[in-house]
Amino acid sequence: MTEDRKKTTAIRAMVLVMLVCASFLLFVNGTALAALTIKANHDHIKIDFFYHGSTVSMRGVSDPGTDLIIKIASPDGHQALRQKGKVAGLLWMNVGELRFEQVPLLYSLHSTRKISDILSPEEMDKYAIGLESVGKKAEIQPVSSEAEKTKWYGEFVKFKESSNLYAETSGDISLNTNGGEQNYYVLSQWPYQAPPGDYIVTIYAVKDKKVVEMAETKVFVEQVGVVKSFAEMAKNSAALYGTISIVAALAAGFGVGLIFRKGGGAH
Amino acid sequence: MYLYLPVALTSINVLVPVGLGLAVGLLSGLFGVGGGFLMTPLLIMFGIPSTVAAATDSNQIVAASTSGTYAHWKVGNVDFKMGLYLLAGGFVGGLLGVQGIKVLKAMGNADFVIKMTYVLMLGIVGTYMFIESVSSMRKNKTQEVKEERQSAAGRFLSSLPMQTHFEKSGVTHSALIPIIFGGFVGVLAAVMGVGGGFLMVPVMVYILRMPMHVVVGTSLFQILFNCIEVTFLQATTNHSVDFILAVLLLLGSTVGAQVGAVFGRKLKGEQLKVILAVIVLAVTVKIIFELTLPPALLLGQSGGH
Repeated sequence: MTEDRKKTTAIRAMVLVMLVCASFLLFVNGTALAALTIKANHDHIKIDFFYHGSTVSMRGVSDPGTDLIIKIASPDGHQALRQKGKVAGLLWMNVGELRFEQVPLLYSLHSTRKISDILSPEEMDKYAIGLESVGKKAEIQPVSSEAEKTKWYGEFVKFKESSNLYAETSGDISLNTNGGEQNYYVLSQWPYQAPPGDYIVTIYAVKDKKVVEMAETKVFVEQVGVVKSFAEMAKNSAALYGTISIVAALAAGFGVGLIFRKGGGAH
Repeated sequence: MYLYLPVALTSINVLVPVGLGLAVGLLSGLFGVGGGFLMTPLLIMFGIPSTVAAATDSNQIVAASTSGTYAHWKVGNVDFKMGLYLLAGGFVGGLLGVQGIKVLKAMGNADFVIKMTYVLMLGIVGTYMFIESVSSMRKNKTQEVKEERQSAAGRFLSSLPMQTHFEKSGVTHSALIPIIFGGFVGVLAAVMGVGGGFLMVPVMVYILRMPMHVVVGTSLFQILFNCIEVTFLQATTNHSVDFILAVLLLLGSTVGAQVGAVFGRKLKGEQLKVILAVIVLAVTVKIIFELTLPPALLLGQSGGH
């Protein structure tokens, strides 16, 4: 009997420990599940003939007292770019090609406040928040030193910014506290230079310089209609596409020539 | 109004390519050049990737030069026979040039050598053209003296075999001359990645001694065929021809070429030469600036020139 009682006590103790653990987990998860949501109003962008970029608004609910950072990025990939340099100490010309690995094609940030004020550098690196952190995990070939890498990454960012593909803005997420909830809203300009593909929108809730929660949604960009037909034809039936382009140009040239003769443009 | 370009993957205000087309078409009809020297960098400036800019420009030149050739042909200013000889030479030269690039690239520092050769050549040709045409405008009546000076070279040229008369141009040459010089320009054009109009026009004026008005028409005829070939190659190998952009450009350039041709008829050959010389020199200066001033961006899209 005493053996049995001992066993029951042991089982009871184990169950108690498990319950405590479970409730603790539930508590932690519970707050996470309840708080952070994200929704983009425009998660399927269609590139048609008259496309000139778009706007995407993102809204959701977050825990009061947290700051927010929204990152819009394409999955990391590689890009090769022509590199200009000085030849013979005097003349600028193309000196080769630089390959960038682990860099997104598009990267843009929005936040409630200046990011360096609300997040620690370690956390920024961990979640690749900020162009500096993106640069740390980027690989650039061929560069001879760390200083060279920093220099060329800086040029890379300049190049990307010139076509609106990289952007950092802060203080543009607006917050609205309603009861126990905090609603946020931000409007993002979607650049027309961003090519078709999948883009990931991540929201980070930040407290005490640490990321405490994350949520994610996707934006899908695709070509439709005439634009899609032309792009596919140029790729898949190149000879036919080339021939049509040439014939159309010849016809246009002759056509305009005839119009000018009839119109008495030549005299 | 903005339109989206399916191959360039960017959006552009339609007034930009139509306006550019008009301006470059005008130059084309006036001087018998393709205008790639102006069009390609401007398109890049408006956000078109460099490969797409170069390829689409050739497609557009097909239309502009058809329009221009047609306008010059109506008034009898296209020497088809000469044009065909030049084309034959240019075709072989282009093939040699493509091989030449490979050799130069293998030797290293190819871009430097190519750019320097091009700048020097444009500078020399532009200066010579300018001085020659200004002085012949001043003393129109002393032309006989000049012709005598040329006679030593002339004697050599007329001693070559396969002499044939080019009726439209009113000159007699060995058939080898246009073929060799067409080939020479073809090699350079392939190596430099430019159309070669700037070099072909002076060759026709000073070496083949054709009248300026026939030079313009014949040059356009020759450019037309070159650009058909380039457009097809670019479409099939690089997939970089943007049809929508080409259509927008040619809306302007075909009209521009007609206007240029009409306007050119009102100018004297010497006047055309002076203006062309100034343009060639301006392009030389522009390239020198590009080479010496630090660029705003040290990185650019791959491909193209």
